[in-house]
Amino acid sequence: MGLNVVVLDPAHGGVDLGARGTEGIRESEVVLQFASQVKRALEAQGFQVILTREGNDNPSFDDRSARANAQRGAVFVTLHISSTGLPGTARTYVMPDFPPSNDISGLIPWDRAQAPFTALSHKLGDLVQTELAKRFKGSPATAQVAPVRQLRTTAAPAIAVEVSSVSVENRTDLDRMIPGVAEAVAQGVAAFRPSYVLPALPGSAPGQGGQP
Amino acid sequence: MNLTWRTWLVIVLIIAVAGAALYFPALRRQVYKAKDITEKTAEQARRELLPPAPVTSGDPKVKAKMYWGSRSQSGQLEPVTVELPLSSDPVLRSKQILNTLLAGPVDPEARTLPPDAAMLAFYLLPDGTAIADFSEALANSIPSGIESEQLAVDSITRTLAANIPQAKQLKILIHGQEVDTLAGHLDLTQPFDVTLEGMSEPRSGVSIITAPIQKAIDKVKDATKR
Repeated sequence: MGLNVVVLDPAHGGVDLGARGTEGIRESEVVLQFASQVKRALEAQGFQVILTREGNDNPSFDDRSARANAQRGAVFVTLHISSTGLPGTARTYVMPDFPPSNDISGLIPWDRAQAPFTALSHKLGDLVQTELAKRFKGSPATAQVAPVRQLRTTAAPAIAVEVSSVSVENRTDLDRMIPGVAEAVAQGVAAFRPSYVLPALPGSAPGQGGQP
Repeated sequence: MNLTWRTWLVIVLIIAVAGAALYFPALRRQVYKAKDITEKTAEQARRELLPPAPVTSGDPKVKAKMYWGSRSQSGQLEPVTVELPLSSDPVLRSKQILNTLLAGPVDPEARTLPPDAAMLAFYLLPDGTAIADFSEALANSIPSGIESEQLAVDSITRTLAANIPQAKQLKILIHGQEVDTLAGHLDLTQPFDVTLEGMSEPRSGVSIITAPIQKAIDKVKDATKR
């Protein structure tokens, strides 16, 4: 059994509108449309996709992470639209390395859940970013590192994809990016699939394909 | 009740109504005045109690490096050398440095922090942990997004790293409180390393090109007004 589930997180929602543009563009609404097409592209690659929200609600960071943490063999992708950045570009972010817990019980503490997965997240982030860079000129070639709150509590390979930006003058400029982002995420996750060797027991440290 | 008593009762009532007509407008003015005073926010009160770090003419002028946004590579930081009279005391010096960073560069487009944000307090612990407490404007006025929030934090940590060797890590508070994120993305529950080897450097060395942050700050304000 290998990687077969993708937990897709359209960020913000409810009273949290996220980034807002002067043309009335709201991040919380646009990411739902991105998520819908990314879901279809991932399903076409044979993945089961779980959305953290499908309507205008706002689950907590922990509730969103819990959707991934309850799965075995899942990856987590959170989708964002930025306030800044060259319009028409996209970036992938992964958590910086941080030491795992010294807890002798072997359990992963919730607030450091990402720690054992950072190497895998970097690999997934680079694969997705490579695909984004092919489609969106001006995007960086590899994943960026940033302490994104949503990723910290996620016990799975986890990335944030941020598209620029809500400051576009016309909403259709963002809409035109949706198919490219969807394809890039799906291709990147599919390329990552052989790299992810599931731990023998739930909660134990993950492994990487081709590595001892 | 005879006629005399009725007359007296009417006179007393007229006097009472006339007195109330004079007294209540004065009372209303007093209430409005008191309301204005109590509406002053706790943050304003703190700002008044905590005067900005003094830059005294007695301090020697020192070349300090401030990390503001790059104009040539937007989305990246660029060191700008400024000459400031700086204290030798690391806490006072940190306050002077960060207040200069908040005041912003000559070119407002190179700003990394909202112009209405203020530093309310700064502490430096013996283990090298710096604690900087900023006003709520830092969280409310900054453009929401991973990139913009990281640029803001990196500009603070790098400026401290370049000028305050005693500072090893930085904990950011908002209005005296630990908060989950800066503006919905960047994790503020953990301290940041104070280093010039910034995490935002693309690992491949490729620049990220973004619109100037000042434009985004203005747009946040416009969008909030709607």
